[in-house]
Amino acid sequence: MEFDKNSTLKLAKLARLSLNDEQLNSLEKDLTSIVSFIDQLKEINTDKIDPTSNSLNQDLILREDIAENSLSNEDLLKNVPESELGFFVVPKVLE
Amino acid sequence: MLDNLTIEKTSKLLSEKQVSALEITNNYLKKIKDSNKLNCFITVSDEKAIDAAKQTDKRISNNEKIGLLDGVPLAYKDLFCTDGILTTASSKILSNFIPTYESTVTANCKNQGAVVLGKLNCDEFAMGSTNKTSFYGPVINPWKSIGNDEDLVPGGSSGGSAAAVAADLCVASLGTDTGGSIRQPASFTGLVGLKPTYGRVSRWGTVAFASSLDQAGPISKTVEDAAILLETISGHDNKDSTSSLKENELFYSNLNSSVKNLKIGVPKEYMSDDLPEEIQKFWNEGKKILTENGAELVEISLPSTNTALPAYYIIAPAEASSNLSRYDGVKYGLRVKEKSLIEMYESTRSEGFGDEVKRRIMIGTYVLSSGYYDAYYIKAQKIRSIIKNDFDNVFKNVDAIFTPATPNTAFPINREEIDPVQNYLNDIFTVPANLAGLPAISIPFGLDNSGLPIGMQLITNSFEEQMLLNISKNLQDTINFSNQPIQWWA
Repeated sequence: MEFDKNSTLKLAKLARLSLNDEQLNSLEKDLTSIVSFIDQLKEINTDKIDPTSNSLNQDLILREDIAENSLSNEDLLKNVPESELGFFVVPKVLE
Repeated sequence: MLDNLTIEKTSKLLSEKQVSALEITNNYLKKIKDSNKLNCFITVSDEKAIDAAKQTDKRISNNEKIGLLDGVPLAYKDLFCTDGILTTASSKILSNFIPTYESTVTANCKNQGAVVLGKLNCDEFAMGSTNKTSFYGPVINPWKSIGNDEDLVPGGSSGGSAAAVAADLCVASLGTDTGGSIRQPASFTGLVGLKPTYGRVSRWGTVAFASSLDQAGPISKTVEDAAILLETISGHDNKDSTSSLKENELFYSNLNSSVKNLKIGVPKEYMSDDLPEEIQKFWNEGKKILTENGAELVEISLPSTNTALPAYYIIAPAEASSNLSRYDGVKYGLRVKEKSLIEMYESTRSEGFGDEVKRRIMIGTYVLSSGYYDAYYIKAQKIRSIIKNDFDNVFKNVDAIFTPATPNTAFPINREEIDPVQNYLNDIFTVPANLAGLPAISIPFGLDNSGLPIGMQLITNSFEEQMLLNISKNLQDTINFSNQPIQWWA
């Protein structure tokens, strides 16, 4: 896969990154080189192999779904860039 | 008396009342202040450290029994959330983030009375093997080549965690290892670095990079200290859904350095003409020591070794791009103000992430995107099964695997960057253990002709950390590596 300006831009859009021309240029080159590196796996037949999502031989452990006290509203908002009345504030979404 | 302390020595000094915890802590705080050139610390938490030391002293003067970590000055990679202490992951996007909670790993140390000196520089979001991707600038390796003043990398991503221990700015430290990020820097700085079995140590409260690979672990001056720290940070945690239910073990008190009748595998796939002669030399020496001390060496084969790196560079960026989608400027961290929500996301992320992080997010987005998910991500997970199966087969016949930790020693910070893939090759010996979830350790073996440390790696089967530590102790006690960098930075 050769990355060009368009395919790199499309990917950046999906990743919610805005990139300047210089960054786009260098990413095109890097992505092409990384993808050709990982593409070597295509030669390996894995038809009859099950995927491993993590190496721990154990089912995912779920907690009981019980409400309990964790972070207070005040603690939750300690790092917020902008808040009002105990809520997170973001730019207007609906006109 | 106060320099080059290990956890064992510090604990002895304290319990024999030869020195106070406050004196020890103040000595380290002073050394940190004098070592800005190394750029190890992002945050020094001096007030909290002094407070904790005073509490240890109070316990001692009340004749309370103190544990091995009580009053011992440690420092943590800036990836562990620490209540009330800035936690940046070495990224601009978290450069104002002060957690209101404590990671399980650091809480375990805190509960044992450990003194936290501060937070250590690392590659941004732990992505790198040079510590050069940090927003806070590179960490400088305390080691230098003989007769050459050039600054060298400490390795990465836990570069600060390694350099700070090597320069004796803390007794020991914690790092994280996703593809070698504890073992490679430990090897570059002449230290012991241990990555536990996946699931042994809780990931809760540790900034996530690649969730199916990340494990926290110690970087220390001795194998004994690694055992003490591992024992402290291990154990089941119901806040981590992949935390193992296995009982915790007493790694330190159960240390036993015999290797008699153990079978040690040497993988033929790791032998290469590209391996520097001096690394090869120490590898051979290690084999000789193990045989002389009563172990049996066995040549083994891990046929899928060469698929590990490409599989890793699919899985790790994929999981990273997903994990890092949370940094959007809404709830915490950096926000770049824009008129619309989408523009705010994009500007915040573009301004907040460095180049390597962007590169990996882009790769991760690509391999997870519609039409490519099966061809890349699922494929890589299948390769992981093959790699794990290789190890399972080998461990039917051997107790441990012995390899070099790195294909090179510390290199100049200003080495020209060729291509990102070239840098990824630094992880060639360390990545397989992460993919298979196995415990692995790097132990210092000696110095090359330029005077730079070389480390060797041991890998054991899942949850066989005791065996890993025992063999390491045998090697450590035989080799007696006691070299330290010549101090030039203070």
